[in-house]
Amino acid sequence: MNAIETVGLTRAFGERIAVEDLTLQVPAGSVFGFIGPNGAGKTTTVRLLTALIATTRGSATVAGHRLGAENDAVHRSTGILTETPGLYEKLSAWQNLIFFAQLYDLDATRAAQQVERYLRMLGLWERRHEDVGSLSKGMRQKLAIARALLHEPAVLFLDEPTANLDPETARMVRDFIKELRQGGRTIFLTTHNLPEVDELCDLVCIFKQRLLRLDSPVNLRHDLFGRGTRVRLSGDPERWIQIVRELPFVNSVEAQDHALLIRLDDPDEQNPFVLERLVSSGARVQYVEQLKPSLEEVYLKLVGSDRN
Amino acid sequence: MKKSLVILRREWLELRRQRGLLLGIALMPALLTFIPIIVTYMVQHLPESFERPLPFEKINPVFLGMTQVERQQTFIGQTFAVMMLLIPLIVPSIIASYSIIGEKVARTLEPVLATPVTTGALLFGKCLAAGIPAVIITWICAAIFVIGLSLVTVSRRVLIAIVSPGWLVVLILCVPLIVMIAVTAMVAISSRVNDPRTAQQISAVAVVPVLMIFLGQLAGLLILSPLLALGAAVILAVLALASISLAIRIFQREVILTRWT
Repeated sequence: MNAIETVGLTRAFGERIAVEDLTLQVPAGSVFGFIGPNGAGKTTTVRLLTALIATTRGSATVAGHRLGAENDAVHRSTGILTETPGLYEKLSAWQNLIFFAQLYDLDATRAAQQVERYLRMLGLWERRHEDVGSLSKGMRQKLAIARALLHEPAVLFLDEPTANLDPETARMVRDFIKELRQGGRTIFLTTHNLPEVDELCDLVCIFKQRLLRLDSPVNLRHDLFGRGTRVRLSGDPERWIQIVRELPFVNSVEAQDHALLIRLDDPDEQNPFVLERLVSSGARVQYVEQLKPSLEEVYLKLVGSDRN
Repeated sequence: MKKSLVILRREWLELRRQRGLLLGIALMPALLTFIPIIVTYMVQHLPESFERPLPFEKINPVFLGMTQVERQQTFIGQTFAVMMLLIPLIVPSIIASYSIIGEKVARTLEPVLATPVTTGALLFGKCLAAGIPAVIITWICAAIFVIGLSLVTVSRRVLIAIVSPGWLVVLILCVPLIVMIAVTAMVAISSRVNDPRTAQQISAVAVVPVLMIFLGQLAGLLILSPLLALGAAVILAVLALASISLAIRIFQREVILTRWT
C-alpha cells in the first residue's frame, strides 16, 4: 500500500514551472528521501503534498486522501516540520504544543497527554515552561518535530530535520526518525545531507523540477556506477592493472590511492578469481572491500548530467 | 469559531508577554484621555487676558446662554472628544501589525496553515484578537473621560454638551467599525511589508479623516449631531465591508505561503 501517490503532479507560478509532471509512489511505512539542489522545487512539492498550495495539473493522494477534494483530511493525516521551526518564541514549549494540539482538534485531556508524551520522548519535559526563545536551536528543532507528531499523522514531512544541529542532537533526531519508521509511520524526508539519506531512507528521489531518478540507495549506486571491489595492495597498484584487466569478466579496472577499483557484474562470484589471480601473480593484498560510491557521487552525476 | 478562539487565546497570551508593546498600546489612549481632562480643567483657571470671546454661538447653538468659562470648556471638551477616535485606529494597528508581521518574520504561519484550520478562522481570530482590546480600551478611555469631565467641568450643561448624543452614537456604533477597518487595513498593509513599524507608519494615514473632523469642528463647519453620527456609521459600515472583502482576498493560504515570504 502506498502512503503517497502522485500522477503528473505539476505546479507553475505564472510562467515558471516549479514542479513538472511528478509521478511517484511512496510505500507506507518507508522513509522516502527527497533530494535535489536549492530551488529545485522540493519545498513546493512538500507544500503540494500537504495541501498547502493547489496543483496546477495532475493528481495525488496522501494517506488515502485526494489532494484538492479532501484537503482537510490531508491536513489531519500529515505532519510537517518546516525548514525553519516556526515556533512562537514568547510562549513556552508547553503553550506552543497545546496551541497546535487544539488546532488539530484534540480535546483538552488528549492534548495534554500527547504534549507530555512527545516532550518526554524528545527530552524537553523539564524545559516545558521555558519560553521557546530561550531554548537552543536543537531543542527548538525537537519541539517542532513534536508539534508535527501531536495528532499522530500517518505521513510525516520533514524538511531538513538535522540542518544546523550539533552532531549529538542530529544523531538523536536521526535515531528518532528510525523509531518513527519502526512504528509504521511514513516519512518524507527532504534534506541536503546525503549520508543521512543513505542511513535512513528506503527510497531516494533525486529531483530537479522533475523526477530525475527514484530508487533505493543501493540500486542507484549499482545502476550508475556498477558493482565492484576495491583491493588495496602494497606497492604501486599500476603494475597489477593489466593482470586484472586480462580476466574476461572484469568490466573495468583503475588504480586509485594504492588500490585497484575493479568493476564486476557479480562480485560475490568473481572476487575469489580476481584475488587468486592477483596473489598468484605476486601481489600482496592488504584489504578487500565492496566498491561503494557515496550517494553524493550518485547525486552529482545525476544532477550534473541533467544540467548538461 | 472554536478555532478562531484558539487563535485569539494564543494571540493574547503572546501579547501579554510583550511588555514594550503593551506600553505602546497603553500610552496613546492614556494621553488622549487624560490630556483633555487636564486641559478642560485648566481652562477655568486661565488668566483674564486669555479670555478672548470667540463667536461660539455661530459655531454651535449649544453655546447659547453659556458663560464664557462654560463655552471654553465645552469647546475644548468637544474638540478633544473627537480625538478619542484615534484610539480605535491606533490600538488595533499596533496589535495587528505585530500579530501578522510577527508571524511572517518568525515563519509561524506555515505550520499553522498545515493544520485543519481555515484561513477564514485564522483571519477572524486575528481580527478579534486585535479588535476586542481596541474597542474595550476605547470604551474604557471614554468612560474615564466622561467621569473626569464630570469632575472638572464647571456645570452639568457643559458635560451634557460634550457627552452629546452624537458623540455617544459615534462611540457605540462607529468605534467598532473603525476598529474593523483598521484591522483589515493592517492585514492588507502587513502583506506587503516585513516590519511592524513600517506598517504602522503607513497606517498613520488613517488618522487624516479624524483630523478632518477635528478641524471641521474647530472651524465650526461640522457639528457632531446624532444624524451626522448615524450617517458616518453607515459610510463606515460600507467601508468596513469593503475592507473585510479585501482582507479575505489577500489572506489566502496560497498567497501567504508563496508571496508573503
